[in-house]
Amino acid sequence: MLPSPISDPPTSSAAAASDDVDNNLQPFFVLHKALPRKSERKSSGCGRARRKIDLPPSSPKSIEKSDVSSPEEANDRIYEQLRLQAFNRTWSKIDSTIKDVLRQINLNLFDEVQRWVLESFSNIKSIRPHKVSEIQRPYPLVTDTICRKIPTALIFTKNAEFVDDLLTFQELGGHLKSSGCHVAYLSSLDFSVKHGISGCLRSLLRQLVSEAPDMADIYILASWYCEPENYDNPILLIIDDMERCCGAVLAEFITMLSEWVIKIPIIFIMGVATTFDAPRRLLLSDAQQHLHPSKFTLGSPCEKMNALVESVLVKSCSGFSIGHKVAAFLRNYFLRHDGTITSFVRALKLACIKHFEMEPLSFLGLDIPDEDCEIFQHGQCDSLPDSLRNHAFNLPSCQREKNLKGTGGSLIHGLTELRTLQKGWSSAVMCLFEVGKQKNMQLLDIFCEAIDPTLYNLRASDHNLQLSSLTGRSLIEGKSGFAKGGFIAQAIQQVRELPAASLSHLLNIWVVHIEEMNEIQDRVRELQSIISSGGGGPVLKEKCTDIHKRSISLSAGKGTLSVNDKAAMLLEGMVRKFLMPIECVPFHEIVCFKHVDVLQSALIGDPRRTIQVDLLKSPTYLQCRCCSRRGNVLSSSMHDTSIIYSLAQEYGDIINLPDWYQSFKATVSAGTKTKRKLQHSPASKKVKATPSESEATIQARFCRAVTELQITGLIRMPSKRRPDFVQRVAFGL
Amino acid sequence: MDPNDGDDDEEEFGLSRNYFLAKETGSGSGRKSARKLSDIALVDEQVLRAAVPEIVPKHEKEIASLVKSYKDLYSKWLFELRCGFGLLMYGFGSKKILLEDFASSALTDFGVVVINGYLPSVNIKQVVITVAEVLWDQLKAKCKGFTGSKPKIQHPSISQSTEDLLSFLGGQLPNENDCFVCVVIHNIDGPALRDSESQQYLARIACCSHVRMIASIDHVNAALLWDKKMVHTQFNWCWYHVPTFAPYKAEGVFLPLILASGGNAQTTKTALVILQSLTPNAQSVFKILAEYQLANEKEEGMPVNTLYTKCRERFLVSSQVTLNSHLTEFKDHELVKTRRHSDGQDCLYIPLASEALEKLLQELV
Repeated sequence: MLPSPISDPPTSSAAAASDDVDNNLQPFFVLHKALPRKSERKSSGCGRARRKIDLPPSSPKSIEKSDVSSPEEANDRIYEQLRLQAFNRTWSKIDSTIKDVLRQINLNLFDEVQRWVLESFSNIKSIRPHKVSEIQRPYPLVTDTICRKIPTALIFTKNAEFVDDLLTFQELGGHLKSSGCHVAYLSSLDFSVKHGISGCLRSLLRQLVSEAPDMADIYILASWYCEPENYDNPILLIIDDMERCCGAVLAEFITMLSEWVIKIPIIFIMGVATTFDAPRRLLLSDAQQHLHPSKFTLGSPCEKMNALVESVLVKSCSGFSIGHKVAAFLRNYFLRHDGTITSFVRALKLACIKHFEMEPLSFLGLDIPDEDCEIFQHGQCDSLPDSLRNHAFNLPSCQREKNLKGTGGSLIHGLTELRTLQKGWSSAVMCLFEVGKQKNMQLLDIFCEAIDPTLYNLRASDHNLQLSSLTGRSLIEGKSGFAKGGFIAQAIQQVRELPAASLSHLLNIWVVHIEEMNEIQDRVRELQSIISSGGGGPVLKEKCTDIHKRSISLSAGKGTLSVNDKAAMLLEGMVRKFLMPIECVPFHEIVCFKHVDVLQSALIGDPRRTIQVDLLKSPTYLQCRCCSRRGNVLSSSMHDTSIIYSLAQEYGDIINLPDWYQSFKATVSAGTKTKRKLQHSPASKKVKATPSESEATIQARFCRAVTELQITGLIRMPSKRRPDFVQRVAFGL
Repeated sequence: MDPNDGDDDEEEFGLSRNYFLAKETGSGSGRKSARKLSDIALVDEQVLRAAVPEIVPKHEKEIASLVKSYKDLYSKWLFELRCGFGLLMYGFGSKKILLEDFASSALTDFGVVVINGYLPSVNIKQVVITVAEVLWDQLKAKCKGFTGSKPKIQHPSISQSTEDLLSFLGGQLPNENDCFVCVVIHNIDGPALRDSESQQYLARIACCSHVRMIASIDHVNAALLWDKKMVHTQFNWCWYHVPTFAPYKAEGVFLPLILASGGNAQTTKTALVILQSLTPNAQSVFKILAEYQLANEKEEGMPVNTLYTKCRERFLVSSQVTLNSHLTEFKDHELVKTRRHSDGQDCLYIPLASEALEKLLQELV
C-alpha cells in the first residue's frame, strides 16, 4: 500500500503541498498509472484462485506473498477473488437469461419486422434500374416523386420510458443484421441543432463505412453501397427515441435521404412512445410525405416483467435469490419509483453484487444448481478454513436448527436440501400464477407473498389449529391461514370459480409445471380424468355465475366435492407443502440476499434530505465531546456551516444577511464567553478560539460557511435586486 | 403491503406545508427586518480575504477519524468497481482527500485520472485523450504483444476524434475483463460539468468497458443532471453517504465571499463571460491590469496613469478618452474598481483573489 494522506500525515509536506495546490487548479491530471508489478501479482492471484481446491488452507505458508502480512489476509484475498468470480459467473447467467426472455417476448415482432423489411426492399428493387452500372453512378437517380418514399416502421413501445426499449432496439438490430441487412443506430443526440444534419450523417458513416474519413458526405455512403459486398442489401436506420429528436434536423435528414432512396435503399425503424400522429407533430408536412409508415407494436412492460420474474426469480437457476423484504422493496421500486424494467434489473444486479460482497460463503451458492457437482462441493466445503466454516454454522438460520452438526457434510446436505426445496417452491408458485393470470395478477405480487416467512408461519400455525379441530368445511370455504385478500388466497378461490373448459386447460398447464413431483402429478391426472368423464358435479354447469348460490348448494351437498373444489384443495395442499419461503431454510443466507437497507441506500441516494440532516445533526457524525452532550442546542463549538444552517431554519424563504450574520456572531461569541469562564477546565483546550476573536475572523468564518452552503445548493446567493438577502432553497427534510 | 405508505404522503404533505409556512414567515419577517449589509461594520475586503485561510479549524481530530473510518469500505468500493458499477459519494464536507486517498491506496493496479469539476471549465476531449493514453499504456504493459496483435488500435492522440477514442475505451478485448482506468471526478455537479453536453460525454465515458468512475457530488439537486438512460445504463451509480465535514478549500476558491463587495462579487466565470464579449484591445487592457495586480499583490492597485502609459506603449489605446471608455465598460460590469491610494491618487484594482485571477488569465488566452 502506498502512503496515504489519511492515515499518516505527509512527511515531505512542503513539496507535497505545492503539488497539491497545482493539482487542485488543474482541470484534470493523472494521479498515477497502473503499477505493473502489482497487476502481475494480481493476475497470478487469479490463477491461484482458480485452483482453489489444491490449496489446503492448512498450509498457508506455501503462499508466497511478500506484501501480505498474515495467512488470514492471503486467504481473505483468495476468497474475495472467488466471490468476485462467482459473481461474474452468476450475473452473466442471470443476464443472459434476462436477455433471452426479453428477446423471446419480442421474437414474433422481430420476424414481422423482418418480413416487412424484405418486402419493402423488394418494392424498391422493382422500380430501380436493373443495370448495375447505372446504379453505381455517384449521383442520385431521377425518378418521379411518388417513388421517393422511405419505408418507415413505426414501432410503438407502449411505454413512456424509453430506457427499457434501448435493449429491444439493439436486439432488433442484431436480429435484422443476422439476415444480412446493414444496420445503423441513430439516437436523438445525433439529431441536435448544434451539429445539424452533418452530425447524424457522420454517425451513420462511422457505423457503416469501416474506414470512414471524418466528414459528412452522402457520396461516401453512395460509393460504399456500390461496392459488390455491400450491394443488394437494404440499409436499416434505427432511431429508438424518435420523439426526442430535433424535428427540423430529422426533417432535413429525411428529405435528403429521400433523394437517394432508389439508389441507396434506406429503411427507417423508429421507436414511438406516444401515438400514431407523433411524426405529424414532429415533422413538417414536406418531410412527412417522404415517409411511408407502417405500424408495429411491442409487448407491454407488465408482460415483460412477468416473464422476467418467472425466469430469474422463480425458476432461479443461478444460485442467487432474494429475501422477502428485498423483494417487497424491488416491487415498490418498480411500481412507484421508476417503473422501468431496466431499473429493476439494475437493482437486482446491485443486490447480487452486495450479496457476493457481504456474504463470505456466497461463492458456494454458484454450484448448487448443478446436480452433479456434489463431489466438487465436497472438496470445496472440506477445504474451508475454520473461520468460514464457523461462519456457516453460526448463520441465524442454522442456529434455529438444533440438530445440525458442524461438518462439511451437513453443509452440503443443507445446500442440496435448499435446491430441492427451491424446485418444489417454484412449481407451486407457477401453478398459482397460472390461476392468477385469469384475474390479471402479476407474478411479482404472488412472488412477494410466496416468499414471505411470516405468512408461511401463520399458515403453518393455522393449519395445526385446523388439524386439531378438523373440519372439511373450513378448508373448503377457504377459511384458512391465508392473508385476507392476499394473492394466494385469491388464486385458490379463483380455482373454485373456474368454468370446466378453463379448469381442464389449467390442469394441462399444471402438469407441465409439476413435472418432477409424481405424487401431485397423479392427483392432477385423476382430476383430469374426472373432467373428461364428464363427472364434474353441479358446479361445473353453473359456470360460476352465482357464487353465493353455489356456496349454499355446496353446503347442501354435504361433503360431496366438485372437481373445482378438489383442484382448489390440491392447490392449497401444494401451497402448504411446498411453498416454504427460502428464508425458512437453513443455510439460505448463502444464496439469499436480505439486506434491504444496504440495497436501498446504494440504489437511491437521497442527497437533498441527507445533506440537510448532515448539517443539522453534525455532532452525531463527528462524535465530539464538546457539542454532542448538549443535544440539539446550538453551541459555538459546532461546525460553522452547521451553525448557520441551523440558524437559517428560523427564517422564511428569504434570509436577511445582516440578521443572519448577527445571530451567527452571537452564537459564536456566546461560546467564547463561557469558554473564558471555564478556562481552567481541560475540555476547553479543544477549540482554541482566542477570547478576543477579531471581527475579521468571524466575518471570514461566516463567509466560508455561506460559501459551503452555496456549494451544497441549499441557498441561493443575493440577487442585484435584493442584495441583502439570500434565498433558502430547501424547506423541511 | 407497504407499511411506509402513510409516511410518504405525510412527508410530501409536510414538504409543501413547510414551503408555505416559510413563505409566510418570510414575508412577515422581511417587513420587520430590512436591514442593510452596510449596517454591519464590514471589514475591508482584503482583510477578509486574508482572514479566510487563517480560520482555526474545528474538530480536526474528529474529522480525521471520521474520514479514517471510511477506509474499511475501500475493499467494498473496489469490489463494486470491479463488478462494473460506478461509485457516487455524497454527504456534507469536501470528499477530495477521501477520494484521492482511496485512489492512491486501493486502486494501485489501475491507472487513475482525476478531474476537478469544481473549476470553472474542463475540456472533456482532453480528458478522454488522457484516459485513452493511460489505458493504452496499461494494456501495453499487461500483454507485451498487444500492439502487434492489434494493429487497428493506434496510439491515442489529439488528432483522433472523440468518437474514435470512446470506441477504443469501450472496446472489447479478450481476457481483459479486469483492465480498466479509474476516472475520479471531484464534484461531477460542479460548475465546469453542470451543462448537459458535458454530462452526456461523461456518461458515455462512464459506460465504456475499460473505464470506471468514482465521483462526488455536493449539490442537493445533483441527481437532476441525469436522465434515466444515463442513470440506469451509463453511470450505473452505487451511492455512498460519506459525510466528512472537511472544509471545501479547493472547491470554494472560485466562489465569491458573501460579505465582500456587497455580496454580488465577480466570479471567474462571470468575469470571463463579460471579457470574452469585449474587443481584443479591451481584453488586453484588462490583462495589463491583471498582470500588474498579480505582480504587486501588496499594493492597493494600479494608478490610472501607469495603466495609460503601459497601454500606449503597447498601442492598445491612442488617447486617455479611449482608455476611459474601456474603463467605464469594466466598471459598469464590476470587473474593475477604484480606490484611493495612500498617496492620494486614484488607483484601479480587480475585485478577484489572486488564484481566481490567474485562472482567469489562463482561460482568457
